[in-house]
Order: sequence, then C-alpha cells, then structure tokens
Amino acid sequence: MTVPARMVLETVVQEEWGRLTSLLLAQYRRLDLVEDALGDAVEAAARRWPMDGAPDSPSAWLLTTARRRAVDRLRAESMAQRKARLLVTDAEHLQEGPAAMADPGGLVEDDLLRLVLMCTHPALAPEAASALALRLVLGVSTHDIARLFLVSEATAAARITRAKKKIVTAGIPFAVPAADVIPQRLETVAQTAYLAFTAGYTPGSGPHLLRADLAGEAIRLVRVVVGLCPSAPASVALLALTLLQHSRRDARVGDDGRLVLLADQDRRQWRRDEIDEALTLLASPVLAGSVSPLAASYVVQARIAAEHANAASPEETRWERIAEHYDVLLALFPSPSTRLARAVAVAEASGPEAGLAALDKVEIPGSHRVAAVRAELLSRRGDAGGARAAYGEAIAACRNDLERAYLVERQRALPGLNPP
Amino acid sequence: MLVAYEPGSWESTSEALKQEYFATHHAFEEYADAHGRRFGSASLAGADTATTIRHIDGAVTVADGPFVESVEQVGGYYDVELPDLDSAIAAGRLLPASYTVEIRPAVTIERYEPV
Repeated sequence: MTVPARMVLETVVQEEWGRLTSLLLAQYRRLDLVEDALGDAVEAAARRWPMDGAPDSPSAWLLTTARRRAVDRLRAESMAQRKARLLVTDAEHLQEGPAAMADPGGLVEDDLLRLVLMCTHPALAPEAASALALRLVLGVSTHDIARLFLVSEATAAARITRAKKKIVTAGIPFAVPAADVIPQRLETVAQTAYLAFTAGYTPGSGPHLLRADLAGEAIRLVRVVVGLCPSAPASVALLALTLLQHSRRDARVGDDGRLVLLADQDRRQWRRDEIDEALTLLASPVLAGSVSPLAASYVVQARIAAEHANAASPEETRWERIAEHYDVLLALFPSPSTRLARAVAVAEASGPEAGLAALDKVEIPGSHRVAAVRAELLSRRGDAGGARAAYGEAIAACRNDLERAYLVERQRALPGLNPP
Repeated sequence: MLVAYEPGSWESTSEALKQEYFATHHAFEEYADAHGRRFGSASLAGADTATTIRHIDGAVTVADGPFVESVEQVGGYYDVELPDLDSAIAAGRLLPASYTVEIRPAVTIERYEPV
C-alpha cells in the first residue's frame, strides 16, 4: 500500500526539518540561504512527488534538492558580487564536506543540538528565541507562530528576522558550547520551549481560544532536546509536565466553545497514554538526585498535575498533597500566582475559611483572579454580600470576554440579589 | 566590551582589593590573548566628568553628564577580537563581579577610510 505523496512530504517535513536545517547550516553557514533553499526544496517536492511518486528516501531527496538550490543561489549571488556574513562554527566543524544523512554516529545529532542551542541562546530575547526554535528546528510556519503567540504575522516575522540578525551580527555560534555551560544552556532551552507551550494555553478569543495543536509543537521541541540529552533533568521534567497539562486538551474546551474548568472536565477525554508516559518520566532516575531549582520546579508542577491526573473524580483529588507541593514550589520560586493556587488547594483540602486565610495579602496587580477566588470562597462560606462585592471587583478587572461572562453568571446566582 | 560599575572611589580602595581587581583583569586579558586578539582598552574617569554632545533641532548642545543616567556608569572598555559570542561571554565573566559588562560587535563601515 502506498502512502499518498502529500502525506509523505508532510511527515518528512515534520520529522526531519531541524535535521535538514542543521545539516545545511553546517555546510553553508548562512541562515537565510538555508531557509530559502529548504523552502524551495519542499515546494519542488510538493509539485513533483504527487506526479512522480514519493522517493524512497524522502529526506535525502529534500537534502539533495536543497543543496542544489543553495548552490544555484550562491552562484547568482557571486554574479551580483554580494558577500554575506557566515555563521560562526566551532573548529571541528570548519572542515569541508557534507555529512551523510545516514551517518549513524554523533555528527548528525550534534548538528541538531548546535541548531537548538543557537536558536535558544540566552543572548536572544525569550519570545524571539521561542519563535526561532519553532521555525528552524520544527519548521512551524510564521503564520502558526503568530497564531500561537497571539501576535500579527508581521510581528512574528519581525521577531524571527531580528533574532536571525542578532545571531549573525553578535556572533552567536552554531556550536556546542563548553561542557561547563551546557547544563545552564539546556535549562534555557527548556524555558524557551515552556514559553511556547504556555503561549498555546493562554486564552485568546474566538477560534483561537486555545491553540493546543501548537502547544503540541512545543512538546515536540522538548522531545527533540530529551532525545539529544536524555539525562538533562530540566528537559525530562518539562516533558512530563507538558505532557500532563496537554493530556487534558480535549476536555478543556466545551461543545459551546467555552473553557471548561478542571473540576467540570470529562476525565474520560484525558489522554491516558500521555499521562502514563509522563508518570514514567517522573519516576526516572534522572530526576531522583538533587536537581537545579528550575528542574525541581518543573518536577513539583508535574507532581501537582499528576495528582489531578490520578484522581478518578474531582472529589477524589488529594488536595492536601497538592497544597504541600505548592509549599515546595513557593520555597523554590515565590510568586503571587503560586500563592493563589496554593490558597485554592488549601480551601479544597480544609474549607473556605482556611482558603481565605491563605489568600490573605495575595495581590496580583491588574489581574481579576485573586478577587474571583475570594468571591468563590466567600460565597462558599455563606457570605453573599462579601462575595457580591468581590465578584464586582473581579468583573471590573477581567479583560477576557468569556471569563467575564462566567463571573457575571456566578454573581447573579448568589442568593438575595434578584427580587423574588 | 563595555564595562559598567557603580561609581565609587578607587583611591580609597584597599590595596588587597585593588590586587584582586588587577588579577581579574589579567585573567580576562590572558583569555582574550589565548582565544583572540586585544586591540585596545581604557579606563575612563568618572561619569561626573563626562560631557555629552547632542544635536537638538539643528543646534549643537553640549551638556554636562553622561548620555545615559543610571546607577551604573560606563567605566571603561576593551576592544578585543574573539571567535564568537560564547567566547566573549566566557571572557567577560572573568572581569570583577561588581561590573556589568556589555558586549557589542564592532562593525566596519563600508567605504569609510580614516584619515
């Protein structure tokens, strides 16, 4: 049975984009040239494969075609006497000669690692690094990157262009850094990937409410890094965390297009295979010893998500455990939103009174969330007047239409507001 | 590489601390020599002695003070050639911890020839 040529192309682009980019970069050391050449090759494949049939080795076909295009472009440029600056590479890479696609050794993987580390260099702005990594390592289109980060396509393209310019001008190398800085650099990779992941779950509006498909791309990025460096704790912990959060995607948006809260989600829609994979990762010996604060924060967040994943129903959630996990997280990285989340867990574990006490002095400027939680807890305690005022405060501060509608509904449902 | 630090009095700095600063600069210079080249460097007098020239609405104004007002002031620079940003960061990290170091690529302006 033959797979349609279009699907073969889609798969090879999805799986091999970063490898092809990194091989071409190692050879030509020019970002614009490599991107254009690879783009041309994919375009040629989209035209030719449906007619001629997909080649036996689709990625080798793309690589050969892209190389041919690169050479054509270089020839045209030398006529125009243009000279572009080359990427800096490490010494062992300066030797000429393309690496074979079938190279079984470390060379190919090293190139991919070089690419990942270059895209996520700490000298790049985090959003720009995220966008660039999605573009160059995974081949995500600028259109989709814009949709993920809720910016215009022009803004996304400008971010990517600026990042590429900085790489070339500042001399960010296409290289594997010194061994002593690698762990730190891998943490930056993890942060970059997590930024892209959380962007996919930042509520937007209309059809872009959640962009879970694109958040899935961020998980692919984490997988690439775990594949390259399986013993990097931050990456392993982040893969577990993102898999757990992502496993709920089908249950998070209702048929009416609204966000569904965790307690109201149909847990049968959670992806069990992904949860199981994450739980296995969490038990990995890589995470057993002492790890960096960042890795530890991913681990504890994953454990919180795992508590939810393992509860068959909301009532069976072990909220005491979750509150304890939040205490650990607060000790690592104190933040008002973590204190808020902890207060919710405390309220679920020990009642609204304890929750309100935990909420004391928590402030998140510009956000409606603290007021919304306080309103809910006051209403549970039977203080309808206090709850009404707190809902009013939350409604005034809320900028998301769907969430505001939900708060208004909750306020209306309080006893004693409507005349009988 | 631009070096910035909170202004303080070098004269009243203890001899031991001065030696520490010298040692870190030496470490930086040795790194730069081993991995690239040094072209020049200078320590600058305090920002309170700075004069700023600006063109405002066609007129040249000369004003007292540095061009950026902040707690930290540019206090010196190294002009070095290093293979890439990672080596520049590795070199810059060798300088005293009290410094903030800004790394900037030096560029050649096409067709410009100094007299």
